[in-house]
Amino acid sequence: MIYLKKISKIFYPKSIALKDINLHIKPKEFVSIVGQSGAGKSTMIKILTAEEKASNGNVVVGGWDITDISQKEVPVLRRQIGVVYQDFKLLQKKTVFENVAFALEVCGISNSRINQVVPQVLKIVGLKDKMDRYPQQLSGGEIQRAAIARALVHRPKILLADEPTGNLDSLNTKDIIDLLLKINEFGTTVVLVTHNKDVVNRIKKRVVLLESGKLVSDEEEGKYIL
Amino acid sequence: MLSSGSRVLKFAFQDFFRNFWLSFVTLTILVLALFSINLLIIFNLVAQASIGAIEDKVNVSVYFKPEITQDQVLAVSKNLQGLNEVKDVTYISSEQALENFKTRHQDNPEILQSIDELGKNPLGASLIVTAKVTDQYTKIMQYLAEPHYDNLIESKNFDDHRLVISRISNLMSKVNTGVVAVALVFVIIALLIIFNAIRMAIYTHKEEIMAMKLLGATNWFVQAPFLLEGIIFAILSVLLTIIIVYPLVGVIQPYVSSLLETNFNLVTYFTNNFFTIFGLELLGAILINLISSYWAVSKYVRV
Repeated sequence: MIYLKKISKIFYPKSIALKDINLHIKPKEFVSIVGQSGAGKSTMIKILTAEEKASNGNVVVGGWDITDISQKEVPVLRRQIGVVYQDFKLLQKKTVFENVAFALEVCGISNSRINQVVPQVLKIVGLKDKMDRYPQQLSGGEIQRAAIARALVHRPKILLADEPTGNLDSLNTKDIIDLLLKINEFGTTVVLVTHNKDVVNRIKKRVVLLESGKLVSDEEEGKYIL
Repeated sequence: MLSSGSRVLKFAFQDFFRNFWLSFVTLTILVLALFSINLLIIFNLVAQASIGAIEDKVNVSVYFKPEITQDQVLAVSKNLQGLNEVKDVTYISSEQALENFKTRHQDNPEILQSIDELGKNPLGASLIVTAKVTDQYTKIMQYLAEPHYDNLIESKNFDDHRLVISRISNLMSKVNTGVVAVALVFVIIALLIIFNAIRMAIYTHKEEIMAMKLLGATNWFVQAPFLLEGIIFAILSVLLTIIIVYPLVGVIQPYVSSLLETNFNLVTYFTNNFFTIFGLELLGAILINLISSYWAVSKYVRV
């Protein structure tokens, strides 16, 4: 599903964010990428969403070599993966429904299909009753659930979650992680980027540890030990 | 493509109304800039009309000797009318001149009595000559100074007008230069203000634009609503400017008429040149909105 072959990312002039990363994530896997701040976790996500280009190496997502992806192809790539961010990135002047619908609108999906699918996805994340509210009228947990609904609505094969619980309390954190696990059970590959030790240790899935841009461990049912 | 177009339209209107205060401020700035330009147009028109009114009042009177016959005077009149510089020549007979003189001094019985005692009309006929342009009076006077007119003409009052004519000429050229310079500065300021207002409005959408791009929106899908919103801003601002300008010229008009004593009408001018004035303003507003929107959004879509 995702191949990173000897990936390096060097920011000008010589700040090394990632160095010689080799990683293979299989379909339907749940992988936690862990590490301290500045370890290169978010850079890895940015390379997978073509926000950044790798300085060296090859990147393959869903069988598509995106190493030298053109600007024209970037939107096509992004429509095939779902991304959840720590700062949610919801459109503040759009309702929950409109935010989720936007991910389908950019793909050119018809209005009738949007009206059918969006409420279903909002029901899955428990926001069906709040779909006419604006993001500022929701709690932190609800906002993140709306962001997950948006990331899922176009049924991506891969869901990238970049510190999705970073701004949430422990109760909401548990809800979000449970939701991600549920999504994974339905067959979506989930890549969770976090530095939350408790979260990683609770879910008992594959753990990839980054330190100073290098991959230092990769364990099935691993733990995050500081 | 059709649903994409309708979505772009929907997003443009949604953004306009959901960011009401931002839209209101942007629109206000646009209206103020356009209003300033119209104010300048009004000022220019009034200045030109004032100069025109003063110019119309300037003329040269040529007084003929009493013994000169009407035919001789009319022959001179014909010659003057043949000059390129002359706009109009009005003939005043010696009888009319006497009549005018008596009317002018009707409250002074001594003068009237002296005229009666003379027993004959002491006044000759005269011609009132108006030039097409104030600069051309000198040429007309040079023509009248030719030797063969010496026996016919008693006096010319050119010297009385020389100063005022020269002042008007100077004033006209200065006003024209000034108006062009002020107009240029105004237009540049208006363009910069509009450009900046649109850029600031789009800056507040920076995060949203980036989020849209991360969701897989193409540059066109992100940019188009902003460009369309720019066109909506332009149309609304010109409409509002029209709504403000018309009552304003309506209010100013009576003062201009009484001041200039001419039939120059600002409202008529704006109505007759409606499509030129507001059409150009609309075109300019759309262009500057599109350029600034495109430029500002382009900065944030590079995600």
